[in-house]
Order: sequence, then C-alpha cells, then structure tokens
Amino acid sequence: MTRPDAAGKLRGAVTFGTDLERPGMLWGALVPSPAAAGRLRAVDLGPARRTPGVVAAIGAEELRQLLPSALGRERPLFPVEEVAYRGQPVAAVAASTRAAARAAARAARVTIEERRPVADVEDRYPEWPGPGAASDPGVIAHVRAGHGNVASAFARATLVHSETYRTSGVCQVALEPHACVAEVSDGVWRVTSSTQTPFGVRDDTAEILGLPAETIVVDGTWVGGGFGGKGAAFLEPYALALARASGRPVELALSYREEFRLGRSTLAAVIRLDTAVIDRTIVGRRVRLLLDTGSSLPGRDFATGYSIGFLVGPYRCGAVEVEGFGVRTNKPPFGPHRAPFAPQCVFALESHLDGLARRLGVDPLEFRLAHVWREGDETFLGQKVGPFGGERALRAAAERARAWRPSVAEGHGLGAALGFWSTGTGAGGEVRLRLDGRALRLEQVEREIGSGSVIAGLTAVAARATGLPARLVRLVASDTATAPVDSGVFGSRTVAALGRAIVQANEKLLATLARRAGGGPVRLEEGADGIDVVGPAGRRPVAELLTPEERDGGGLVAEGRHYGNAPPIDPSRVEDGTFYPYTDFTASVDLAEVEVDPETGSVRVVRAAAFQDVGAVISEPLVRAQVEGGFVMGLGEALTEETLWSPDATLLNPSLLDYRIPTLLDVPPLEITLLEGAPGAGPFGAKGVGEPPILAVPAAVANAVADATGRRVRDLPLTPERVSRALIRP
Amino acid sequence: MPLTLERPDGVDAAIAALLSAPDAVPIAGGTDLLLDLEAGRVRSEHLVSLAGLPWARVERTGEGWSIGSTAPLRRVERSEGLAADHPGFVEAVRSVGSAALRHRATLGGNLGRASPASDLLPILLALDADVTLVGPAGPRRAKLDELLRGSRDLALGRGELIEGVALPPRAPSAYAWQRVRPANDISQVGVAIARPPGADRWAVALGGVLPRPCRVPAAEEALTAPTPSEEEVRRAARIASTAARFASDRRATAEYRRRLVDVLLRRALARASGGARP
Amino acid sequence: MSADPGPLEVNGRPVERASIPDDERLLDTLRWRLGLKGTKEGCRSGDCGACTVLLAGETVLSCLALTRDLPALPVTTIEGIEEDPVAIAVREAFTAEAALQCGYCTPGFVVATVGLLKELGPDVGVDRLREELAGNLCRCTGYAAIDRAIRRLARGGP
Repeated sequence: MTRPDAAGKLRGAVTFGTDLERPGMLWGALVPSPAAAGRLRAVDLGPARRTPGVVAAIGAEELRQLLPSALGRERPLFPVEEVAYRGQPVAAVAASTRAAARAAARAARVTIEERRPVADVEDRYPEWPGPGAASDPGVIAHVRAGHGNVASAFARATLVHSETYRTSGVCQVALEPHACVAEVSDGVWRVTSSTQTPFGVRDDTAEILGLPAETIVVDGTWVGGGFGGKGAAFLEPYALALARASGRPVELALSYREEFRLGRSTLAAVIRLDTAVIDRTIVGRRVRLLLDTGSSLPGRDFATGYSIGFLVGPYRCGAVEVEGFGVRTNKPPFGPHRAPFAPQCVFALESHLDGLARRLGVDPLEFRLAHVWREGDETFLGQKVGPFGGERALRAAAERARAWRPSVAEGHGLGAALGFWSTGTGAGGEVRLRLDGRALRLEQVEREIGSGSVIAGLTAVAARATGLPARLVRLVASDTATAPVDSGVFGSRTVAALGRAIVQANEKLLATLARRAGGGPVRLEEGADGIDVVGPAGRRPVAELLTPEERDGGGLVAEGRHYGNAPPIDPSRVEDGTFYPYTDFTASVDLAEVEVDPETGSVRVVRAAAFQDVGAVISEPLVRAQVEGGFVMGLGEALTEETLWSPDATLLNPSLLDYRIPTLLDVPPLEITLLEGAPGAGPFGAKGVGEPPILAVPAAVANAVADATGRRVRDLPLTPERVSRALIRP
Repeated sequence: MPLTLERPDGVDAAIAALLSAPDAVPIAGGTDLLLDLEAGRVRSEHLVSLAGLPWARVERTGEGWSIGSTAPLRRVERSEGLAADHPGFVEAVRSVGSAALRHRATLGGNLGRASPASDLLPILLALDADVTLVGPAGPRRAKLDELLRGSRDLALGRGELIEGVALPPRAPSAYAWQRVRPANDISQVGVAIARPPGADRWAVALGGVLPRPCRVPAAEEALTAPTPSEEEVRRAARIASTAARFASDRRATAEYRRRLVDVLLRRALARASGGARP
Repeated sequence: MSADPGPLEVNGRPVERASIPDDERLLDTLRWRLGLKGTKEGCRSGDCGACTVLLAGETVLSCLALTRDLPALPVTTIEGIEEDPVAIAVREAFTAEAALQCGYCTPGFVVATVGLLKELGPDVGVDRLREELAGNLCRCTGYAAIDRAIRRLARGGP
C-alpha cells in the first residue's frame, strides 16, 4: 500500500503546526513560574515590555482589563494566587521574532513566596494512606469498589502473594513540539493548531477563556505525532489571548525543553497487589493504587478510577477489592498518553501473576488461560464482558513460546504478558457524506496524526461501506465552524467510531437513493460516466436522482453518528469515586526474548512476537504499522524512559538526550499476528488498534528478565542499574 | 543575549580576538558550546570562530599521529590506518553522538569543553597524549593529564588555543563504556586502557568520575604483564573501582558506577590484550 | 579583522550572509529566512536528527550550526534533493515500505540516508547504515518499516 501522504512527507512538503505562518505574525512565548509551589506575589512585565520587538505582554493583571472572563475561578488562564508547578505559565508575551519573545519572557520578573513543594506521592504518604485520607486536601480522587467476600477469600487461601510495584512517569515525545497560530478579528477567535482534537480544543478553550464556544473556530494541520499529548487545549488559549492583546496573528510554539517541562503525561505510581489462591485458583484480590496526578484539579482526574481496572485486569475472580488515591503534587497535570498509565498497570499485574504462577509451579501462560475472561463474564464492576480476544491471543503466544523455548540461549529468558484495554472510547462523533455524480465526499474535522487512520482508514471504511473504489472517495477536513462534531483522534477510536458513523451515513444515503429510484435495496457502483445507483429498477447515474438544489449545491448529503454503547457498570459495587465503563474489550499479548548482561544489568530484547486482538482488519498495513510502533514505544517504557524529578519538583531530564526513547539500534525483529474473530463495535467488527500494542510490552520484557535471571524487578523502567541491583540483591 | 562572532583568518588574529574581550570563547564545531550558551552554563557575548584556522589535519608523522584541534571527529574516525594503530581511540570517537554531530564536532572542542562525561578524555589520558597549544607567548606542548584541572576546566593561558593532539605511533588499546541506551546517550562510566610503546604496564583511565576523567596508577601497578593473568586483572579492577571518586547523579549512582568500573576494566583488557576474560 | 564569511550556497542559490545576525542558527535561516520548512525543528539540541541537512554532501545538524560560522560550502536541504538519483532511490524505498507515519522525522531521515549512502558508498552494509542512522529518532514507526527500507538501499551487508 502506498500511503497517500508519502510523497508529500518524503519531500518535507506538508505543513505542520510548527510551519504555520501568517502575514504580520508575531511570536509568542510563555513566562514560566520559577517555583514549583508558593504564593504569587508579583509579575513585573515592565522589563519584558522594554525588550526590543515586544508588542504585547499579558499576565493576570492585564487580563483583568482585557478579558476578565479568562480569570474564571476554576481554570484561570494564568494563576492568580498560587502556582501549581515549576514552569507553569504566569504570563505571556508576543514579539516580532521568536528570539525577542523568548528574551522578553526571560526578562519578566516573577516574585513568588515559595513553599516546599510536594514532589512525590511517597513524600506525601510515606505510609499507605488510611481510610480517613480520602478527604485530605491533597487527595483529588479517591476510588473504592469491589464485590464478593474478600476477607473470607484471604482467610481461606492456601497461598497469598503480596507485592509492591513502583512505576515512573513517561512522556509522549511526539517529535513535533506543540504549536499553533491564533488570530482574533470581528469577534471570531480563530486558532489553527497541531491537535488531535479540534472540537476538544474549542470547548476547552471556551471554558478557559470564558467565551461562548461558537465564537471560537479551531482548524487542524498535519500533526507531527500526538500519542495523547495533543489531545486537549494547551497553547491555544494563550495564543488567542496574545492575539487579542496585540491585534496581530500570534504563533506560539514550545521548545522541546518546554515540551518536557510543561507537558502533561503519565506520572509516578505505587501499586500494591495481594492475591489469594486456593490450590491453583485465584479466589481473592486486593488492588491498591497511589497515583501521582500532578496538579490535576479535583473532579477532573480520569486516571485513578480508569486505571485501577487495568490492575484488576481481564481475569475472573469471585472477590475483589480496589482502592485508589489520586494525589496532587507540584508537577504539571497528569495527561493522556497512548493508553495512559496502562502499560505500567499491566507491568505490575502481569509481573505479579507471572511470579505467582512460578511460585505455584504452573506455566505462567496456562495460569492466565485458566483465569482469563471469556465473553459474557463480568468485570469487577459487574459490566458484561463483550467479545474479547484474550484467550485466543494467549493460546497463540503459548504455542509460539513452546516453539521458541528450545532455542533460547543461556543467559537469555522468555517472557509473555497479556494486556487489556478498552478501545473505541471518546464522547462520540459525526461525519457527513456528500454524494454527487462524480465522487463521494467524506466531510469531517480530524487531521492525520501519523497512524493513517484519517487519510487512509476512514476512506477505506467509506470505500468498503459504499462499494466504491477508494479513488472516488474524497476526504475533506475542515474547521469546527463547518465540519460535523467529533471528539478526536485518540482512544483507539478514529476508525472504530467515525467508521461506524460512516457506515450509518451510507445507509441513510442509500435509503434516500432507494426511495428516489423507486424502491430498494440499491447500491453504488462506478459507472461509465461517474457514479451509478444500481437496484431492482436497474442502473441509473446518481446525477439523475439528485434534486436541482443538490445538483447545484454539491450533492446529496447524509450524516452519520456514533456515540458509543458501553454496557453499564453495577453501581452497587462502587463505594466511592468515579469509575468508567469499558467499550470494546481488546486484548494484546506480547512475547519477548531478552539477553541480560549479568554484570552490567543491560537488557537487550533479541526477538519478540505480538498477538493483537483486532476484531476485524480493515487495512492490514496500517494495523501492522500500529503494532510495530506501539511495540517500540512500549520497549522504551520497559527499559529506558522515565521522568526524573528532584526533591524540589524540578524535572531533571527535559531533553531527548536524557529522556531516552528507543533508537534504530534498540529494536528487535518483531513477529506480528493479527487475531480476528472477537468483533468490536467498529465498522465490519473492527476494534481500535492505536493503543493496545503498547500495553503488554514492559510486562513481557520484565517477565523475560525474571526468566533469564530468576530475579524480579519491581520498578519500571528496567534500567541497567535497576536490573543490576536486583541481580546482586541477597 | 546579543552575540558576536569573529571569524579570524589566521592564528595570530584568532589569539588577538580572544584577548580583545574578557568573555571571548573559541568556537569550533559548536555542538556543545551552543547548548551551554543557550542554557547559560557558559556566559559569553564574544565567540571567536576557529573555522578559518589550518588545524583540521589527521596525519601520521615521524613521531606518531598528529590530529589537529579543528578536525571533525568524523574525519578522525575515518582516517586511513588510525583504527588499526589506535583501536580504543577510534572506538571512543565513534561512540560520541551521531554521525551528523561528528561531522561538525571537533577533537579540540571535546578537549576544550573538558566534560567529566567526555568519552575522549579517558582514552587520551590512557594514551598519555600530548596537547599542542598556541598562545600569545608562542607554542607549547603539555601532557593532557597536567592540563586537565577539573570539571570543565582546562588549564589554558589567556588567549591560548588547543592546536592539536599528538599520539604515539600505535598502541594496543580499548575503550569500554556503559550507557542506559547504547546509542545517543552519555556514558555512565567509560574505561580506557592502552599500552603505549615502551610502557612497562597498561595505562588505565576512567570517565564519568569526579571531578574529571583520571588515570588510576594504583590499578596500573597490577597490570605490568602484556597479557595480565585473571588474578591480576581482578586485582586491578578492584583497585580501580575504589580508587576514584564516583558521582551520584541522574545518570547513575556512585555505587553502580563503581561496579561498572570493575566490569568494564576487565572487558577492555580482554579486548585490548587478547587475554582471558575473567 | 573578521573575515567576511561570503555568501552561503543553499540548494544551488547564493544566500547573502551580511545581514544575518551572528547568533542565528542555520535551522532558523533555512526555515524562516529562506522559507525552506522541509527541514524540521525537533529538539534543537542535536539529539533527534529532524533538522539534518547536507554541508558539502555530509550530514550536519542545522540546529547546532551558526549560519555565519559555516565555511562557504554548499548546503543542501530536503528541497534541494528533489532530482538527486540517490534521493529518488531513498524515497522509493521509503514509499514502498511505508517507512513513515506522522512525517515529522521523515525529511531528516531522508537527508541523512542520502548523505550516508553517498559518504559511505553503495556497498555500505545494512548494519553499518543502521548504526549510522541511530541519531535520527522516530517515535511513530518503531523503525521497523525504516529498517526494511534501509535493507532495500544498503548492499554489501547482511
């Protein structure tokens, strides 16, 4: 398959957010808080204004005159009293060059009455938080739920396996830094942005600036990688405020250092797992999570309640008790990241089960097979499990492991893990199909982030649904003022959710055409001169079935929508906090062979296999590309990637040198098996595939290290030093 | 930060330019200096470019190898015959950054920046390299070990420039390093060993230690045999791992660095001496 | 006393350097002065390779070079290798293997591959080429497709 964007991208000829330019444009820069915590005393923008080239400098004071609605109580654009993390924007400037803007931002004098920041959840809670901690001021989320008689299960157990795992924060590292350009005129606040969610940016920006959503128009660009990092408003409100203040278009782009310092991603966690077993069967589980949510706002944390389910995992158990605390620290807020925090949860759970199986003398894959969900089972929250490829993927992996085992060299180890994720999420979306005699136009808001889901996935669905050749399907992406609403390119949902909307729109289109053609069913076909409608009444060109208005006005229009259909959770199982139901139950199994250097602790993955539950394949090259990319991102989370924070909540490694994503030399040969047969709600039974391939990689690698060395590393990532420490542990 | 760049076309002009402003610093490839300037680790408004100086040679001379300070590292690593004569040195050069970085980064720049984590200083120390310098008082020659005063601190006189480096004709050598990520990373520890002609023992030098890369004479004493025994290697490794001051920082703890020195020294010796690897 | 650097040749066209500030990086000159935005700004610290261009045919990181400090040698960007036969072969290999996703690292990868193939010759082995390209980071593809494209291009190796 030739990607439709290959020619342009191989010539550097597509426009990303960082490439945007407007006549008379200024450059913006953000003034960072020099402290991680404290009371904001003064922001003196005088020196910034006196920097040559500066046109506008705004802080909370200036906003009070210019745009008081942007100082709303919950999410003010700039902090008014307290700063929440180091680098938090406390003001912004716009100047004629980027260098001038940065110089001005550096010149601003910010005075803060510093307080000792909370840098780490374990500083805040050296002992595990007790029952009363739920109402502590620093706890922004508390979740507690369960079912069955857990105490009795543990009392009856023949073996209890108890462990504590720790995981580090990770960053998305899209190579394109965040960038947007904003223009304000005639009451329209327009921003063009490298974003995964134009409508999300519109609504978020409206809330932050205190403006009606209709006055804000968001348009996308080619996105230089997202991975969740471009899944919400970030720079856009600042750029718009600067455009308003300066009366000129303003480009705002982060440096990569800022990208790390201000980025919203996964943060650290402590995970406690206790599992009660009778003979070889799990009878009781306790799952406890202490999650660093950064400076997320109370009531806006999704991570704690969503993640904890991935610590329970896709396994049957009659008695489960979960409790999680989302703890506020002085770091940027927790944010979305390719299956946010799930690879870390899967690492803990699958390491735990692997070790438990070994203690029981059971093959780890057989142990999982004995407990893994089958369709119709219930989750710990009483949700009915839909079609799930876990068993199928585990069996395929077990077979491959048996084939590999004899050739696993001395000093090497083999490990596997099962990841579970809910795909096809998001708040729903809509598309518009517009058919004229020559082509089918597919109108929607999203831009391509790299996976191909928009430029090739959606068009493939439209072609397959309508029966037309792909070259007659024209993708039209437009801004939020003209395109149908959608929640974004994230959550493994683009093809699954918008594809479903395309199928529905096509059905409407055909119903209208059938009526006009004198009865159905009808289908579309490429004819001698454009597109034909073929049905019981014969073959007719589409053009003949259009009204005069449609012929002149751009064709017959049909809209389709898909707003999810998650089975409900049982509210009686929830004791406290917010949990979220799963949509498509999706499995991903990885098998990895590692070589461990017994003296340095270095781990090299020498070969791997991925078994991906995909529901149905729509475009095999695109699906395989997601598995390849997700696997390697998972490899980084397994071995090298982590954010390092000082005791005063300063990020110590904000660079691509010290935050180590994999290079070309770190990648092993990867065998990929795509498993159909457990359909999702997407078109033709497809499930989303963007996130699941990352899930089980850290766990599979950790289990392989345990197999090679007999030692279990319970901290992620498995850096050489951590592995080395485990090897010399008495 | 207004910044001016002088482009002198000769050595005398370069020295004069360096003397003309108290904060003047020389720039060669700039791959490290520009980052330090941006981060404020180096404060200077006067850069003096060495691009116009005739110091980019990499050549065999009667005495050995002569490498000019503005020779890009890529030219060094691809010089005919150098890898055969100085395998450890070329290993170290190739471990620095990426190919594109090494097309600009220079040997003199790496020396001049004198980073404690430099991958080149340990092997140059082990080779007992001479550094040739030119300053207002004329040329001089000094041992690298004497010039290297501390972390990012080379004992150059005011207006003095690194002209080049002189290496012996050939020496068995090896450079072993450990990184979290094999490519594109800073070494947590680097261990260089070499046996220059006429030396009565293996030279051992460490990188990633405080305050600067250093030789370990006590360990060298155990390594007089051309192919040291297993026991001698173990003793040297043990001594090396306790002799230096190891940093604990975001890249590694001192304890891990100590362990690595022990491992890497054994491996470097095995490679360079063809001896057994204990 | 400062020697005039003389014009820089970018993609075959002379670029006057007299009015360019001393501290301007080649990356910014290319992108914002000359409008050659195919060269991408990633880390701006020499760690990602997105800004790779050719200087006298050799790969360099344009984020770490001062425009006025460069010798008067030809600079070639992704826009300047449209007709180059090696670049055509590289683009064909990357297209055949779909060795790109978001496309942000892609121009840097193409330029670096072209530069290294020319520097090291067509008989460079796959392993060597892979090693030399390790300074170019890609976050989307997991390098698998890039690796396959490299295998199509490098002869003489495994």
